[in-house]
Amino acid sequence: MFVYEKKLQYPVKIKNPNPKLAMAIISQYGGPDGELGASLRYLSQRYSMPYPELKGLLTDIGTEELGHLEMVGTIVHQLTRDLSEEQIREAGFDTYFVDHTTGVFPQFASGYPWSASTMQVTGDTIADLTEDLAAEQKARVTYDNILRISDDPDVSDVIKFLRAREIVHFQRFGETKRTR
Amino acid sequence: MDTNKAKCDERGTGTLPGCCAPLAFPYVPVQKNDPERYSQQDALQAGTLFPGLNLPFHAQMKTKFPAVNTALSELMALDFAIDELGLYLTTHPEDTEVLNLYWSYIKLGREGREAYEKQYGPILQTDLTPGSFKWLDDPWPWDLEEDEK
Repeated sequence: MFVYEKKLQYPVKIKNPNPKLAMAIISQYGGPDGELGASLRYLSQRYSMPYPELKGLLTDIGTEELGHLEMVGTIVHQLTRDLSEEQIREAGFDTYFVDHTTGVFPQFASGYPWSASTMQVTGDTIADLTEDLAAEQKARVTYDNILRISDDPDVSDVIKFLRAREIVHFQRFGETKRTR
Repeated sequence: MDTNKAKCDERGTGTLPGCCAPLAFPYVPVQKNDPERYSQQDALQAGTLFPGLNLPFHAQMKTKFPAVNTALSELMALDFAIDELGLYLTTHPEDTEVLNLYWSYIKLGREGREAYEKQYGPILQTDLTPGSFKWLDDPWPWDLEEDEK
């Protein structure tokens, strides 16, 4: 059972619209190493886990990733508000706009729609946990790259928080291999 | 070979990396018990409660979390510390020091929640809101208010 809390995990207040940056950041919404894939990966891997600390960790981190999905969606939403037709064309946002207007659709930065083929549930404890370690690092790199191209401190502030969470999750997944 | 196998059987299953498998498993050192911690406000700003896990990409970039003490930012900080400690305790269940801290944050979190709800409205749809049904009231978490644009 899930219950919705009407608040974000970390505040998102983006003052300046920037559709070009939104098109990059959307990759952490529905891209190959994004938060949607992360939460579905962990929440789906739980069922075949043999030990309680693994069930607990995948439940808690999978749930936190849903909160991160909401934060990334919020960034994209706030970066694409109140756009003029000229801004849409100049930013190259027209290819996204024609399909989704300013709705938030789970897709790669390249436009490819979110795909379950970016994640795995093997049913094997070691294989799944090793994938999870890699997934946290891949998400961390994506956030590094967003920080490289972001010139908006309001955006970078939130991205830095999300990046820090990947490091903590990596640590916890790594520790489960020694708690038994 | 046989001695190795006997050792493995002795130790039973579930130990990783075990004596049977010293290779081919990624190794992450376990965080020591009762590790150094930030305050909950600093933790929210850093994205982790633990200085040892704070490995920023651009060390020179200043964080600009609005350090105003609103009921919302206080509740976010408390809830964040609670989430972070919950994850830590999953792999360190024997750390009683941190367990006590976890419980004290949970108590503070309950108070913070009440303070927030009085000022801004419900967090859960099932929160009691005397007078009227306030769940649908703006702003939703992704909304910017007029003075924030």
